[in-house]
Formats: sequence, structure tokens, C-alpha cells
Amino acid sequence: MPYAKISIGDAFRRELRGIVLTLALVVVVTLMIFAFVWQAGLTRGTVAYLIPVLIAAIRWGLVSALFASFCGVLASAYFFFPPLYSFRITDPQEIINLVLYVIVAIAVSQLASRLKRELEKSQKREKDLADLYAFTRRLAVAFDVSDIQAAIEDHLTAAIQRKVVLFARDIPDDKGRRANVAVPPAVLAEIAKLEAPQSRSTDSSSATSGSVIADQGGIWLARAVSPKNPEFGIIAVNIGKPTQDSVDDLRVRIDAILSDATATLDRLGIAQAINEARMRSQTDQLREALIGSVSHELRTPLASIMGAATVLSTAPALCGEPKLQALVQDVRSEAERLNDDIQNLIDATRISSDGVRPMLEWADPGDIVDSALERCSQRLSGHRLALNLPNDLPLVHVDPVLVKQALVQIFDNAAKYSPPGSLITVAVRARDGRMIMSVSDEGAGLMAAEVPHIWDRFARGERLAAATSGSGLGLWIAKAFIAANGGKMNAVSDGPGRGTTMAIELPVEAATVHPLESDSDE
Amino acid sequence: MSEPSPIVLVVDDEIQIRRFLRTGFELNGFVVHEASTGTEAIRAATLRPIDIVIVDLGLPDMDGSDVVERIRSWSTVPIIVLSVRSAETQKVRLLEMGADDYVVKPFGIAELLARVRVALRRQSRAASGEPSVTVGPLTIDLASRAVTLNGQRMTLTPKEYRLLQVLAQHAGNVVTHQHLLKEVWGSIHMQDTHYLRIFVRKLRQKIEPAPDSPKILVTELGVGYRLALSTEAESTVAAPVAVP
Repeated sequence: MPYAKISIGDAFRRELRGIVLTLALVVVVTLMIFAFVWQAGLTRGTVAYLIPVLIAAIRWGLVSALFASFCGVLASAYFFFPPLYSFRITDPQEIINLVLYVIVAIAVSQLASRLKRELEKSQKREKDLADLYAFTRRLAVAFDVSDIQAAIEDHLTAAIQRKVVLFARDIPDDKGRRANVAVPPAVLAEIAKLEAPQSRSTDSSSATSGSVIADQGGIWLARAVSPKNPEFGIIAVNIGKPTQDSVDDLRVRIDAILSDATATLDRLGIAQAINEARMRSQTDQLREALIGSVSHELRTPLASIMGAATVLSTAPALCGEPKLQALVQDVRSEAERLNDDIQNLIDATRISSDGVRPMLEWADPGDIVDSALERCSQRLSGHRLALNLPNDLPLVHVDPVLVKQALVQIFDNAAKYSPPGSLITVAVRARDGRMIMSVSDEGAGLMAAEVPHIWDRFARGERLAAATSGSGLGLWIAKAFIAANGGKMNAVSDGPGRGTTMAIELPVEAATVHPLESDSDE
Repeated sequence: MSEPSPIVLVVDDEIQIRRFLRTGFELNGFVVHEASTGTEAIRAATLRPIDIVIVDLGLPDMDGSDVVERIRSWSTVPIIVLSVRSAETQKVRLLEMGADDYVVKPFGIAELLARVRVALRRQSRAASGEPSVTVGPLTIDLASRAVTLNGQRMTLTPKEYRLLQVLAQHAGNVVTHQHLLKEVWGSIHMQDTHYLRIFVRKLRQKIEPAPDSPKILVTELGVGYRLALSTEAESTVAAPVAVP
């Protein structure tokens, strides 16, 4: 990769190496000619000096080739033309020979070294194209803005062969990333200047060509990825401590790579995609914040409503009033239902805004099922319940509260979609390193077409939407909670009216109970 | 009724919550003091004799946990925290800070009263040195280290007894996993909840009539365990506090 080695020291060392090797070649050829002259009685071997010229031109470039020609002339004159072992040449015929040799040697050097340059150029171009192709492929699978930015950053890093830091525009949480990279403050200031909107419109020269900032850590180059599309951000490259010439070379090179890259980005409409993604995430954030604060505001008065209702129901004044008691009971149970809906909204907000972070601990699956049943005892009171809980179940390493909440959603669904008096079967079993908790009802069942959609956010069973209430968040929340615990959920039904079985599947790892600790007192 | 009425301090910034708590407690024979801020609560707790404190976690001037910590620094008065769901770590922290129990909002008054009675009873038992705890068919005599189930003496391993003993000392109130692990297995096993799970399972096989749906040794998911003392207290909601 010749373009990677731009420092003068490097180039000089490379030339010197070529010259030394050329000299060695000339010595070898001279020895070989001597051998031939001695063996076969030949007297003229000058033409053989074209061999080192050719090799040097192809391997090490023009300088070495010219050096080889020069050495060839000297060696011929010294070793083979009379008077021998002197640089003087007396025979005019020989002088003509030598001049011809020099002309041919120079022509060969030129041709061969040009060939070499072309080859290098085409190899470089080929690599650039391969890089660009890889970049395109990576962009095609990019999922969000940060994926795209990482792709741009990595592509430039690979192409320039220097660490490139990309500064995304207007991304608030990018500040943290900036802090992670050791970019000197002077460079950060320059980037802030490039980012400022006025510099993009008025001072377009610095936006296109970028700026060079010298720091004790080396020279930094900062410029916009694309002068047309500020969406792509700004890059900063630390190019070490090269000379002015190589800085210019590198700038040309960076320009070329950036223009290729931005052409690709333009072609794929990435700028628009980034813009849309940003707007989408802002709307999402706004919506989540709204839901979050609304649900909090709703929950506070609910606590008063429910508390007051329970106080009323125990009040001596209402003791002999069954009708009023029933009303108070309604207030309480409706408040409870409302509370569940609000809790679902809060859970949904939690899932989509900052993800679910499970608090893993070793839990007894029996405890989880029991506490979910306890929580749903009101809702399940109209159903018959069968519990199949083997007493040798392994422990699971999960967040028991999240699993319980998922189970509560499933129980809730089972109670909602199956007739009163029907049987709900809860079974837990461990098999093949997995723990399966299943809840089967004798209710409305599912049509094959419905099965894939029941897990969607705001999914409501169309067939029964009128007969049941709910936000359509329950199973979506359950699935997210189980997924956060490394498990999965599935639903099976024999068809409409034939009941549904919902199953939670959790991974089981062996709990390491030290025999000494657990059995020490047995 | 020769016993004096217990005095409860209600700390909440929502006037509606304070109002229903006042009515609920007064109907059940309590004397109620109110405070709407943490500062007020701490002042009230220092100036007046208080039997139990109810603290909401979201106070305008300071965190509810600060109130718990400040009161605990000089007083052993029972403290019950009003918390929200999905805050198990916070509950555990509060319990370790010295709160006796928690109730999740929204809650019914009966639930809170049951917790309050349990905490008061524990306080008075500690004061009188009452040595035995009875939970349904189970009696734990802390003085003679004897456990009887339906009058039958039971044989427990030393660790099983220790587990039951710690729970009985806090009978009715939740005891955190960490506290149980520290008391039974020592502080280096504070994170090893699986020891606890396995022992609780064994213990339940011995003491629970139906180990699948335990009624005596109850799980508080994500927090700890509770010896369910409140079963009979809840059924007699309107009765005055039984102070032995």
C-alpha cells in the first residue's frame, strides 16, 4: 500500500533498499558474465546488464533502474572492454555498443517503471472499489443512524488507514462518545466551528477543504463528510507528523475517498434516512415522555380513589347498606382495573424508552407462579384452576418480578377470553435445559392467521374486540419482559373456540450449590 | 378499652391520601398526626410520642428514604413505607435502611392496617420479651428453640431453624434475601439467593399444608420472605389493635 507510507523517511528508505539490491544484482550478473566468458570463450556480455535494469525497473522503480543502467555501463567498461580493469574505452565500436546499451536501458527503465505505476494504481483502485462495495453492503444492512455513522467512520478509517473519528451532527448523546475519543480540545473547537450553521452557508471553503490543526499530538485534519449534506457529520483524522507535501497528498486522497463515499450515500438516500430517523426518534421521545407523565399524574389520584373506597367500605355508617356497599366495591374494582391499564402504559413506556433491565437472581418457578396467581386471584375467581407444579423443578436465573408480570398478563388474557366456570390449567415443567410455564384455557382460541399478530403492540383480537376490554398492550409487554430474561413465548390453539395454550420458555442454567454449604447441617 | 390508642404519624404530600388515611385510622381507633413534608415529619417525630410512622417515598422536600434514615438514627419506632410498583431494589434498600415494611400504591386500607398491626405487635413483643410466635398451625418458641406444627414437635436442621427464627423475629414483616442470607449463612453469601431458595423449598415441605401455594412462609418476589402473621388480623379489620 504505497499511499499509506507518505513520510519522506519511509520513501527514502525504500529507494535506498532498491539501490542496494540493484547493486547486488549487478554484481551477480557481472560474476555470471565472467563465468560465461571464461567457460565459453565469449568476450562480449554487455547485453546481460539489461537484466538487472529490467528487474530494478519492475521491482523498485525508475531510480533503481537508472542506477542499474549506470552500474552496467561502468561494469562493462571496467571488466569487459579493453583495456580491461580500467574505465577507459579505446575501441570506437565498443563506445557505440555502450551508447546503444544506455539508450535501450533507459527506455526499458521508463517503460517498466511506468508499467509498475499503472499496476499499482489499478491495484489501489481495485482495493478502493472493494472497500466502497463493502461500505455499500454495510449501509444496506444499517439499522439506524448510529449504524450508518459507524459504517462511514469504519470505511474512512480503512481507506485512509488512519483512525478517523466521525462527529455526528445534533446527536445529543454523541457527547459521551466524543469524550471517549482522545481528540484535543483545539480540534473539538474547530469541529464545533464547522458544525455551526453559518460556516456551512457562508464560509464554504473551510467546509469543503477542511481545516488543518497542529497539536502536540500531531496534525489533525477536520472537514465535513459532505459539503452539501451536513447530516453526515464531520470527520477528524490524526495524520501524525508528516511534511506539508504529504499533508496535501493525504488531503487529495481523503477528498477522493469522501467524494466516492458521499456519492454512495447520496445514491442510497442516506441523508434523508438519517433525517427521518432523527425526526422519528424525537417524536417517539416526546410521545414516551407524554405517556410517562400522564400515567404518573393519573396514578396519584387513583391511589386516593382506591384508598378512600376501601375506607368507605369498612365505615360503620355503610355496614347495613348492601346497595351502597356494592357501589363502593364497584369504585374500588374499577379503580383497580384503571390502575392495571395505567401500569401497562408505564410498562410499555419503560420497554420502548430505555429498555428493560432485568434484576437477575435465582428464583423458584413455583414462587413466581404462586405470586402471579395471588395477584390474579380476583380475576380468576370465576374460573376453575388446575395447577401442575412438580416439586423438583430447577431454579431459574431470571428477574422473577418481570416473569411474574408476564404471567399475570397471560392469566389476565386467559380469564378474559374464556367463559366463567371453564378450566384454566397452569403447568410448569423443565425439559432439555429449558423451563416451560404454560397456561391453557378452554376459551375463544385463535385462528391460525391470528397467531403471529397477537404479540404486536396494540394488537386486539378483532373477533372479540367488542366483547372484551383492554389496551392490546398485555401480550406485547409480556413478550418484551420474557425476552429481557433470555426467554421466548409462544401461543398454540386448535382453532376458534377450542382454547389457547400460552407458554413461557426460560433458559435453565445449573445453579452451583456447593454441597458442603447446602448439606452442612443435614 | 384500657389500652391507650396507638398514635400514627402519616407523612404524605397529597392531601387526599392523608385525608383517607386519617379517616381509615381513626375509624380503627388510632390517633393520627399528619405531616406533608420530610422536615415536618422529622420534627413531629422528635416532639411527640409516636407509635408508628407511615412515609410516602415521594416527598417534595426530601426523599422518603432520607426520612427513614433520619428517624432510624435515634428511634426504633416502626416505619412503613408507601412505595410504587416496579421498584424492588428501592424497597430492599429501604428495608435495609430500617423501614419495617412497605405497601405498594394504590392500596386498600385493610392491607395497610394489617401491616401496621403486625409492626405494632412486633414492637410490643420485643418490649415485653414474649418468646413465641404463632402462624396458623405453626408455633415457634424462640426461648426453647422448639417448633411445633399442630401441637406436634418438629425436627428441623440447625439452618432450617435459624431461617425460621430470623423470620419469626420479624414475624409478619418482610425480611430481605440479603438479611436472611447474612443471618443464616454469613455475609460472604449475601448474593447466593439459590441457597435460600432451596432451603425455603425444604422448609415449606415440612411446615406448609400445601407447599405449592404457601400460606405461612410467603414469598415477596424480588424482595424477600415473610412469615404471614397477618392472616387472622385481616379478617378482623374493624377490631381494635390487640396489644398483648
